[in-house]
Amino acid sequence: MKIKILVIVLITAAVMCLSLVLGPRTINPFAMDKTSREILFSIRAPRSIVALLMGVALGASGAVLQGMLRNPLADPYILGISSGASLSAALGIIGGASVFGSFTVPVFAFGGAVATGGLVGVMGWERGGLWPERLLLAGVGLSFLFSALLMLILSISTDEGLRRATLWIFGDLSMSEWSRVPYGLFFVMAGIALSVWRATALNALMLGDEFAHSLGFAPQRERLILFISVGLMTAASVSLGGMIGFIGLLVPHIMRFFIGSDGRLLIPASALAGGALLCMADLISRSVIAPTELPAGIVTAIIGAPYFLYLLRRKNVLGI
Amino acid sequence: MSGSSSRRFVFTLAVSLFTFCFLVLSTVCAAETPRRIISLAPNMTELLFALGLGDRVVGVTTFCDYPEEAKKRPKIGGMSNPSLEAVVSLKPDMVVMTTDGNQKEFEERLRSLGIKTYVFRAKQIREFPQGIRDLGIAMGVRERADRLAGEIEAALNSFKDTLRVARHASREEKVLFIVWPEPLIVAGRGSIAGDAMTILGVENIAADSRGAYPKFSIEEILRKAPDIIFIGKGHKEMEKVSQGLLARLKTVPAVKNRKVFFVGDYLYRLTPRTVKGIEELEGYIEK
Repeated sequence: MKIKILVIVLITAAVMCLSLVLGPRTINPFAMDKTSREILFSIRAPRSIVALLMGVALGASGAVLQGMLRNPLADPYILGISSGASLSAALGIIGGASVFGSFTVPVFAFGGAVATGGLVGVMGWERGGLWPERLLLAGVGLSFLFSALLMLILSISTDEGLRRATLWIFGDLSMSEWSRVPYGLFFVMAGIALSVWRATALNALMLGDEFAHSLGFAPQRERLILFISVGLMTAASVSLGGMIGFIGLLVPHIMRFFIGSDGRLLIPASALAGGALLCMADLISRSVIAPTELPAGIVTAIIGAPYFLYLLRRKNVLGI
Repeated sequence: MSGSSSRRFVFTLAVSLFTFCFLVLSTVCAAETPRRIISLAPNMTELLFALGLGDRVVGVTTFCDYPEEAKKRPKIGGMSNPSLEAVVSLKPDMVVMTTDGNQKEFEERLRSLGIKTYVFRAKQIREFPQGIRDLGIAMGVRERADRLAGEIEAALNSFKDTLRVARHASREEKVLFIVWPEPLIVAGRGSIAGDAMTILGVENIAADSRGAYPKFSIEEILRKAPDIIFIGKGHKEMEKVSQGLLARLKTVPAVKNRKVFFVGDYLYRLTPRTVKGIEELEGYIEK
């Protein structure tokens, strides 16, 4: 088991290094001119770190959500957090809010994401706790509502700028810069720490509330803590670079094939694998038809989905 | 039957045939000016007004904001999603559209309802004068269209002349035209701004990317080090929106030497004002 974890860590580190050196053009780190140095340190480095953080957040929150909601189809966006984030960012842009300078979009997106998370929590709350089915349905309902409102705004607005400004929500890492790393790091790490801390409780919750209760866990309290950790991670990742599909849904499943469904291993493994996959996908998306960039979300799905389908045929899908 | 009556019959037949041919030909060649025109694109609205047909334009899209008068005309919806009902209820005898933003299916639908359509096919600046002439013939305002096309051609040629003079002076400047900063979208080959750069004899550093308006790599801007950056004013607070991007490009010659210019939106639509847009770029390049 230790070897498997080590392999994942090494692969992630290798992908990180590759994503610094490769790109539209390869940079030799031992012979850099001024421009290459600038590209490496102020463009590629923050971009790779943001990609890693987003992937980590999505992988980990997918693993937690699937266990907590006991639903293999759960992914971080099912709670409506991303729709809330994009709606709030669009409203911020329309309102002409440039108060936060180049931080306007991420700040509004994060605010919208947290508010939506809170709203889903309120809707999913009954008899002193959160209920998986209620959370899911509240998330799906709010998600539809917010996407519809966003489409409404876009279809009645004649502001071309607004259309372009909302493109980031479909996954865009090109705006990543150092100033976005600290807050991303803070929220993602806080989320990971919370969920790994409650990983044994997550294991118990997967077996059912009664079982968890008999093992000495308070199911409602554990679910609330896990929900907060997922909310923080997803909000941070959406505000860093919009929505990237596939990772939150399928990376935890792929990791389950390899290391089983013990949350103490599954959460960190899904986090690292998610980070490595997104880093890799972003590397491909900015290099393959350079200088034009592809959305990274397309690449994650094109690499990841066939591999997942292959595993699905080869191995037994168990564990959830 | 006597010879004279047979001659009269042949004569009558010849005259009526001639009249018939004349009538057919005249309706085909000199199209009557339509009285109720609907425009399905902002640049078509602008062009129709420039051709003196403004009074006959009875419907426009929600995007048609120039000239000022056009804003007062009844709206029939957006460019890609005009309302068929709104169009039909205005009883147009001509609907003018482009190949750029309008749906082909919409044109077919209109024609199946017996409404005449005209599709403007020019997309690039050098095709534009001929496009105006063709439109002028179809709208029955040939002279006026010829004059407008001639003016535009003359203006375009004058750019070529100044260019020949400038060529001796210095190397080709490297230029980038930014349409939107985050996500970074620029004017590539095939865009109107890209065309303008070709006409002005400067190098568009985004010319080798795919599509007219590609999502561009920031790394490549640093590497290609443009001498001049234009940012189109597609939004009211473009200066503020662009701050983040410009901060990241601070080592690029254009930013270092304060050669970043915010320019009007003339180069987003192919209209008679496009010439003004080229002039604006030229003014900044010569500075």
